[in-house]
Amino acid sequence: MTAPTAARSFPVVETAVLRVAVAGNPNSGKSTLINSLAGTRLHVGNWPGVTVEKKEAALEHRGQRIALIDLPGTYSLSPYTEEEIIARDFLVHDRPDIIVDVVDATNLERNLYLTLQLLELGIPVIVALNIYDEAEKKGYKIDVKAMEAALGVTVVPTVATRKTGMNDLLEAVTGAIAKGSRSLPRSQSYGEDIEAAVKMLTAGIVDRHPALVERYPRRWLALKLMEGDRRVLAEANISGVDSLMKDAVGHLREAHGEDLESLMADARYSLAAGLTREVLQRPSVRKTEMTEKIDRVVLNRFLGIPIFFAAMWFVFKMTFDLSAPFADWLDGAINGPLTRWIEASTNLLHGPDWLVSLMTKGVIAGVGSVLVFVPVIFAMMFFITFLEGSGYMARAAFVMDRAMHSMGLHGKSFIPMILGFGCNVPAQSGTVLWSLYVMGIVLAVLMGILFKRTLFRGESPMFIMELPPYRMPSGRSLAIHTWEKGKHFLIKAGTYILAVSVLVWFLLNLPWGVENKKDSYLGKVGSAIAPVFAPLGFGNWEASSSLIAGVIAKEIVVGTMGEIYVRETEKKPEGPAPTFFEDLREIGTSFASAGREAFTNVISTVGITSLKAEEKEEEATLRSVVAKSFTPLSAYAFMAFVLLYMPCVVAAAAFKHEFGTWKWFGVAFVYQTILAWSVAFIVYQGGKLFGIGG
Amino acid sequence: MFPLGLLGSGEKGEVVDKVPGGSHALRPCHRDSAGTGCRKGSTVRIEDMGIRPGKTIEMLSNEGGGALLVKIDEARIAMGRTMAMKIMVRRKDG
Repeated sequence: MTAPTAARSFPVVETAVLRVAVAGNPNSGKSTLINSLAGTRLHVGNWPGVTVEKKEAALEHRGQRIALIDLPGTYSLSPYTEEEIIARDFLVHDRPDIIVDVVDATNLERNLYLTLQLLELGIPVIVALNIYDEAEKKGYKIDVKAMEAALGVTVVPTVATRKTGMNDLLEAVTGAIAKGSRSLPRSQSYGEDIEAAVKMLTAGIVDRHPALVERYPRRWLALKLMEGDRRVLAEANISGVDSLMKDAVGHLREAHGEDLESLMADARYSLAAGLTREVLQRPSVRKTEMTEKIDRVVLNRFLGIPIFFAAMWFVFKMTFDLSAPFADWLDGAINGPLTRWIEASTNLLHGPDWLVSLMTKGVIAGVGSVLVFVPVIFAMMFFITFLEGSGYMARAAFVMDRAMHSMGLHGKSFIPMILGFGCNVPAQSGTVLWSLYVMGIVLAVLMGILFKRTLFRGESPMFIMELPPYRMPSGRSLAIHTWEKGKHFLIKAGTYILAVSVLVWFLLNLPWGVENKKDSYLGKVGSAIAPVFAPLGFGNWEASSSLIAGVIAKEIVVGTMGEIYVRETEKKPEGPAPTFFEDLREIGTSFASAGREAFTNVISTVGITSLKAEEKEEEATLRSVVAKSFTPLSAYAFMAFVLLYMPCVVAAAAFKHEFGTWKWFGVAFVYQTILAWSVAFIVYQGGKLFGIGG
Repeated sequence: MFPLGLLGSGEKGEVVDKVPGGSHALRPCHRDSAGTGCRKGSTVRIEDMGIRPGKTIEMLSNEGGGALLVKIDEARIAMGRTMAMKIMVRRKDG
């Protein structure tokens, strides 16, 4: 496009976008820092081909456009974890203009180990000395000037959680660019032996493999070749016994053995340790930190598990208390005004009757009844995110792992189950959900004991995991991560739940003109298999049809029930229908009262009175109709069945990833279905035996 | 000199040496801070996490079975017992 007017007195200079990569250790506050810098301009996605999260943001500082790219948190740039490979491939091949290295000021030595590796790349580096406030609180004195001198880079103290130092950091970034090549970090010396070898290798590469010089930073390439980094050796097509390699590193191998990777690690670590001694003064007396005090209780051998279950109970209870009023509100709005509006507008456009039915009884009833769970999902994800961000979730994994081991199991396979609850239908009340959750874990343990002797023999894997210190997660990062988790639910609702709703509508209305839903295709299939579920208390065609549709995703169970029961629930409004504006006002006022109700619910959860407070009778349309077809006991058995009967599509993908073949998924499918049936049977028949809710 | 896994809660030791076979022998699978996953090909060198010869390591929690928790510098690191039995330490007083 050409410029619209020629009146401009000066040409608009297209400034190049400055590409800033943000690197750092896990738990260095890198994520919070990028959130603080980016604000609402943050874009969260995935690195291509992998499940590792990628955050990007475009911002502007003093007219300079900046593209922030968040690299995965790593301890090193060795090629062993997915994260490390992503980070280094980006740094080496995509060559950002500048690296912001987020360093945890409370754990300098280990963080500087990564910093030193970043300095090898020949890219300007700026160190964000993060969590500076906690370091000060610990009584640490860090000589920032000495650190800058030693590393030859700008060091900016920051507290990302309070947005302190963010402007200084951006100033340093733009300032470094203005300085051009003078901002390149000083080359660190790893000792005479190594440096001599590096020199020789570099000269040899320039001489014999000039093409490589274009592709890699020289010093970095020489160091990697010396370490015998397989990835680089393969990419560069140089063998470890190449004559150049022999000449350059032969004497190092003689002196230090073949494992030059360890030699390099040692060299970097002693440099990092030396630097730390130089710039950091620790207080002589260390006081017990809050994290230690909390851990003593939370990780206690006897209290650990009860605390974990209590925490989860609290999560489910709060989730329910907070979201139920909004779920009711949404339910009312969808079934009332929204249905009326869609009906009216379809009629207005002279749509045929079947279209009106498809829209209201198919799409709205199906997707709508799933959408009602949006507040539940988001509230749940909020609390889970809070537990994750606070540092508790990693502890929960640790405590469960320990408990599993003491029963002779390895906890590997259970961790995803403990954390991943998004797969399952949110049930009606927090306590019911919690009891199902606990039951799921208990069953996993029982099955693990059973399978230990049959399927999953073999040694337990070695694992290692850093437990971050307890921290109050910032509101911003809570919001971002809650949204990221909840988003998937919305996408699901908009895509295949919508598609299945339409499909179910057809199956419920074919053969064309069928009078009774029981005689439709879906109804017939449902009726045929219903006897299988009779001993479980829900041997009706409605339940079994929903379960068939739910094979695709568990949310669809709810959606299908919404469609099946819609005819009975529908009542013709008496008198004239409310106008559009009356509807809007009604939606607004009921939203406000939902907010008030949620607030009082939460207050009463915290208060003692809540322990006795029973959830009040629900009036939501679907729930009240379902209550007619189910007794409380059979409903619980049904929910237990839904929870267990089938790994959802997401779980199937995870299964494939973990075990590599679909065979195990088939095994899991059969096993889970049998398990679900047995558990529902025990719940229902056992419950009847004891005369509960029969 | 004995395996880290035998250090009791509250005791301190000095990491003596890596397991025979060099750095390649200790490649545990690394879990992220949320505790999820132990994905395929996700291994980390324990040296990169700061567990190195000469370092003082404090046992925070060792219940005799299952995972244990150690502290190195300012990092709290949970690891499986199999792992801990392969890291050699020398007991340190105080």
